[in-house]
Amino acid sequence: MYNEKTWIGKLKVFGLFAAIPLFAFTTVIIVPFLAGLFMTLTNWQGTGSFEFTGLSNYVTALQDAIFWDSMWLTIRYVFFTLILTNVIGFALALIVTSGLRSQNFFRAGFFTPNLIGGIILGFVWQFIFTKVLVYVGTELHLGIFSSSWLADPGTAFWSLVVVGVWQNAGYMMLIYIAGLTGISESLTEAANLDGAGYFRQLISIRIPLMVPAFTISLFLTLQRSFMVYDTNLSLTKGGPFRSTEMIAMHVYNEAFVYQNYGPGQAKAFVLFLIVALIAILQVRAMKKVEVEA
Amino acid sequence: MKKWMSLSIALALVVTVLSACGGNGKEGNEGQGAGGNAGGKAVDITVLVGKEEIAKPFEAMVKDYNASQDKAKVTIIPLSGANGYERMTTLYAANNAPTVISIGQEMPLMKDKLLDLTNEEWVKNASAGTLDYATFDGKVLGMPMSVEAFGFIYNKAILDKATGGSFDPATIKTIDDLKALFEKVQASGVAPITVTPIDWSLGAHFSNILFTTQSQDRDARHKFLEDVSAGSVDLANNAVFNGWMDTFDLMKQYNTAKDAPLAAQYDEAPLLLADGGAAMWFMGNWAYPQIKEADPDGEYGFLPVPISNNADDYGNSQISASVSLYWGIDKEQSTPEEQAAAKDFLNWMIGSAEGQDYYVNQFSAIPAFSNFQVQPEDSLSQSVLYYMDKQQTLEWMNLYFPPDGFPTMGAALQKYLTGALDRDGVAKEFENYWKTKK
Repeated sequence: MYNEKTWIGKLKVFGLFAAIPLFAFTTVIIVPFLAGLFMTLTNWQGTGSFEFTGLSNYVTALQDAIFWDSMWLTIRYVFFTLILTNVIGFALALIVTSGLRSQNFFRAGFFTPNLIGGIILGFVWQFIFTKVLVYVGTELHLGIFSSSWLADPGTAFWSLVVVGVWQNAGYMMLIYIAGLTGISESLTEAANLDGAGYFRQLISIRIPLMVPAFTISLFLTLQRSFMVYDTNLSLTKGGPFRSTEMIAMHVYNEAFVYQNYGPGQAKAFVLFLIVALIAILQVRAMKKVEVEA
Repeated sequence: MKKWMSLSIALALVVTVLSACGGNGKEGNEGQGAGGNAGGKAVDITVLVGKEEIAKPFEAMVKDYNASQDKAKVTIIPLSGANGYERMTTLYAANNAPTVISIGQEMPLMKDKLLDLTNEEWVKNASAGTLDYATFDGKVLGMPMSVEAFGFIYNKAILDKATGGSFDPATIKTIDDLKALFEKVQASGVAPITVTPIDWSLGAHFSNILFTTQSQDRDARHKFLEDVSAGSVDLANNAVFNGWMDTFDLMKQYNTAKDAPLAAQYDEAPLLLADGGAAMWFMGNWAYPQIKEADPDGEYGFLPVPISNNADDYGNSQISASVSLYWGIDKEQSTPEEQAAAKDFLNWMIGSAEGQDYYVNQFSAIPAFSNFQVQPEDSLSQSVLYYMDKQQTLEWMNLYFPPDGFPTMGAALQKYLTGALDRDGVAKEFENYWKTKK
């Protein structure tokens, strides 16, 4: 469309469309990112002068056992939320596209948790876990709810998973609805004529055609779960005894609460590499299984 | 092509998210200096307040101050959700440092930026020991904000009933005394104590007692702290450690939330104490406003945390009372006029009748100066003043803990409360933590 031949003409088109986003991207993303990378090589304390310390911040960061505990915890969290969010999101999408009455009401309802900010949501669930469930548990003598889920490292982890899934499943449902409604009716009709049952159709037609929706949903849940901070903060604040400190919170605490800027930033960078690697592998793998109708 | 598009979009997304958590680069813009001043107009100074509890009354006080004179105009910089040190460093990096800064544990990191206040008048009036932490190379760099004390807060009415008579805190001098008291309270049908398992309460305040009661001599107890971080102390065989853990055992055994110790919430404890659900609470005088709300007429006081069965041991009749926050003045990015205005503001805050009134009656603070005309009236503050008058106070050595000290030690004590760790385990976790801080 734009085939400017002259140098000036090319510059004009560039200035018209690309200069502003490029400027914003550079100043807001690239520069802070590089500055952060630079910071990992110094012993800067957030103020005052600093010296170059080579890779010692990375050594400190990688030798920190708590960092790896936190990473392992986060990976387990990602594993469970990834599976549960997408299974539930997909199931909900199937239910609300199956022609139920008032399905629009249900769509809106399931999506609502996503509109509540993570901090508020964390506090709401904190109340549910420490008060409502405990009350129900003691009244009905249900051992599993007799004491707060947030007070024990094992159940506190599952509380985080529950809240994470509850928050994100509705959003993923929306993406799956878009995927489901995008499948041409001629295909399902043909399958019906061929005598394919509901599950046959689901496995052989709908799911393969929905791979792009899965790609996006998996990527989004992966990234959201890895970076979860707000619900973590308001629900458990990393407790009890730092057992539910997810990696994003760990990085923040290391830098700002414990005032180790260098190692904290180094951990953030290590985290970036890990998440980038996983995300790229995931997207690449999903692209391979995509099919055209 | 399509593949690469989505790949790069994916990458860009990740970068966006991560730079949000790794941000806070140091590229401050060389814009405005901290508002230069020329001529006789009012000097603009800014204050960074790190104490959220007093944010509202402080705002009202600043408003009054601005109205009372026309030499300076004070503006408050809100923390806006960040923690104090994070906010300080960003403001400094942006060349927009606050003129007056409330500063606590960050003092050693910030000391090169703070104005020498040694010649201020209030230095002479400061209560004994309150300037130690803010003094570097003989220079006083901070003005004490207020005295904060912690120990076992007790509800006198409950203890009166349990002991049959008017309860005298001086009768509890040993671990056995405390145990007998707990038993009496339990026999009277009230839970003896509620333990709030927050990491700062256990890891900074309760652990403080372990260090500060090691010796009456300041140098000796600081030497102990150094020895611990050098790894040459065997905590499991330390007499104070064992006595301190014996008391913790009592707290654990008689805790209201014994079955699920970590489920206890901070907000529930003042209500329990005020409504007769618990006789005691390990906490500090900052909790008084909440207690007062639930029980305005009740009488409360502090009991020391005993660490041995010898009544004369240091620590058995003292409570931890010290200054945890100081007011400092920036000397790096503020003009001499601004610094002078800041000094005036600090003097007004603790020297004028209005300032003192705000301090004592609005902030519920216990003044760290001997020349205050306004004195706190409530029973809990009276109890702190009683210990201060008799010089029965313990230093807050937790100010010298590294920033990750309280979460780590707090975690060990939380584990002990749930039974996940035994006494030797606590000693080991403490030792291992301090070894990393050589």
